[in-house]
Amino acid sequence: MDHLNGGPISEDAFQWLEFNPKRCNRCGDCIDMCPMDVLYFGSHGFPYMRYRDDCWYYDICVFVCPRQAVTMTDLPYLIR
Amino acid sequence: MYYVKETDLVIIGAGAAGTMAAIYAHRQDPKQRVVVLDKSKMETSGAAGRGMDALNTMAVPPKSQPEDVVEMLTKITEGVLDQRVAYVFGQRCMQVIKDLEEFMGRGPGDLFPVDENGDYQMFYLHPVNKPLLLPMDGEEMKRALAKQVRLTGAQVYDRTPVIKIVASEGRVAGVLAYNIRNGDYFYFKTKAVCLTTGAAGRMGLASSGYLAGTYEFPGCTGDGYAMAYEAGAELVNMECFQANTLLKDHQGPSCGYVAAPRGAYTVNPWGEKTWSHGYSSGDSKMGVWKRYAQGRGPLYLKMDHLPEEMIQIIEKIQWGNERTSRGMFHQNRGQNYRDGNVVELGFAEEIGVCGGHSSSGVLSDSKGASNVGGLYVAGDVDGGLPQSYLGGALAMGGIIGEEAAKYAGGNKYAPQPRALKAWLRKAADAFEAPLRRDKGLPTNLVEYKARTRVQYYLKPPKNPAFMEQAAWWMQRIRQEDLPQIKAHDFHDLLKVREIESILTVGEMMARASLYRDESRWGYQHWRVDMPYKKPKWERAWAVVKKGEQGMEVHRRKAPKHKWDFPDAMEYAYPDLEFDVGTPFKKGRNWKNPKRDPWMKKHLDDQGMATPRRFLGEE
Repeated sequence: MDHLNGGPISEDAFQWLEFNPKRCNRCGDCIDMCPMDVLYFGSHGFPYMRYRDDCWYYDICVFVCPRQAVTMTDLPYLIR
Repeated sequence: MYYVKETDLVIIGAGAAGTMAAIYAHRQDPKQRVVVLDKSKMETSGAAGRGMDALNTMAVPPKSQPEDVVEMLTKITEGVLDQRVAYVFGQRCMQVIKDLEEFMGRGPGDLFPVDENGDYQMFYLHPVNKPLLLPMDGEEMKRALAKQVRLTGAQVYDRTPVIKIVASEGRVAGVLAYNIRNGDYFYFKTKAVCLTTGAAGRMGLASSGYLAGTYEFPGCTGDGYAMAYEAGAELVNMECFQANTLLKDHQGPSCGYVAAPRGAYTVNPWGEKTWSHGYSSGDSKMGVWKRYAQGRGPLYLKMDHLPEEMIQIIEKIQWGNERTSRGMFHQNRGQNYRDGNVVELGFAEEIGVCGGHSSSGVLSDSKGASNVGGLYVAGDVDGGLPQSYLGGALAMGGIIGEEAAKYAGGNKYAPQPRALKAWLRKAADAFEAPLRRDKGLPTNLVEYKARTRVQYYLKPPKNPAFMEQAAWWMQRIRQEDLPQIKAHDFHDLLKVREIESILTVGEMMARASLYRDESRWGYQHWRVDMPYKKPKWERAWAVVKKGEQGMEVHRRKAPKHKWDFPDAMEYAYPDLEFDVGTPFKKGRNWKNPKRDPWMKKHLDDQGMATPRRFLGEE
């Protein structure tokens, strides 16, 4: 485990999804469709992996994004 | 906020089975009010949320019949099943195909490929002489099912997991649920419940240590098993564990149903093949375990002998419908299906239970009805229809939707808790206790502890000492750790509920394993103190139920078989031996001829026809 306190992670913690602020229009589709409730809007106004360690790395967020703003740039550290 | 609502039918879990239940409940009786509750999002939730590449164990005339499904399931369960349920499933398969084609707007030859005669193309894979695997281009299946549910007018509550099924006088009375984003609580007064919550797939923790790194959808924490148990339902085959050969660390399929029917197979570091047939049975798992136990692991998925176009098909399926991250995962490790640096597999890294992949779940009849009045089950939480995968979930999901709608139409509400609103507030207050603690144990640490104990003590081979210790740990964590958990928010609070489910299911697995005093299903229930079958357990279930003194287990004969199919698969595996021979050579020269004599011999022995195409014979 790479996060030992339970609950949400901080916005600047290691994450494997990148949200391109130039493409993202904050529609919230990725947040709405994530089956594990991983994504929330952060203080900067764009989504981030608030519940990062619930991610099943199956890229629902990537394929539902209408503006190709979401990229899986990495894998969960423990499985990569 | 607290809401008390009246409805006729509640569906818990909007995966493949739950969505079909909602659709068929509406078809059966449009007057029935249907509520659908899902802990995640209906459009993407469950094991098939991203898509699916095949329907397994399907009777698709003219190539296979319902009797073939019965034969297959009789063999694979070693006779421990209600054949009537298997037959009903087999009869329903064509309806599932037609439904999916209609819902997705894709006709024969598009969603499901057809052959030159216009019949559906099928793969041979199972231990019968008929093809039962139906390939499918089903990436959008879940969205299509969800759309149909919303068109029925059912009230869908996403992000609303169920805390408890309330039962009274042996019938379901209501369902208590809450929203993980805003903390609203609901009590649905209902006449019937369709329980379609999936497997207990977040049990034993894989060695990567990543809590959501599961083979099953990580939301499938066995909540349905635990809730049904608490409501008085009977569960069976909880000792028949799910133990898979999986992509090491990624925990994706290895993949017996995608790559193997297309000619891939498994080798050890010496390049020796390790499976003698393609179907993932308890026997084959025993064979794989022995390879690892004798120091002849790891195993690898080998595909470099396949033609390029076949590799591309496998990549498209594995990296698309399954999880796209799989392609990234391979690249990250320098793995390529085309060369000798092939894909490392792990075995039995996450012990769990599942009705679809194995046989464990709530005991149900051919209508999907449990012993609790108004409680119907389908999909991976269903133990009445074993090993039927997605096809079984879709078929039985439809059946329980019909049956539950009939039940709701013909029955009144069961007696309810007194002063419902006050009762709801009190139940919510108790549930929220972990939120009010100033400090306490983090949810992920407690989950980590529970799941490492599950994996260490429950992983076969079994003996009574390990199983008793597993049950002890489940009780200890429940009594000592759960009361000290601190949850940060409503999302985190769900983890507490899920850990409770893991502990209940883990204890059921331990107690059922202790009670079935024999070995059966190869690796899945291998007792080293009793490594043989006993006559008293032929065609008999170990039934787990909540008793007055706690968890109880008893033996019950399954209904008399109508068809006299063999109760076992007839494969022989090598004995354990620890002479590993000469070290393998660097570079792993695993090139094999296209007309592979090993594969041909085993196909001849086993009468399986399809892979012959890869030998150039058809």
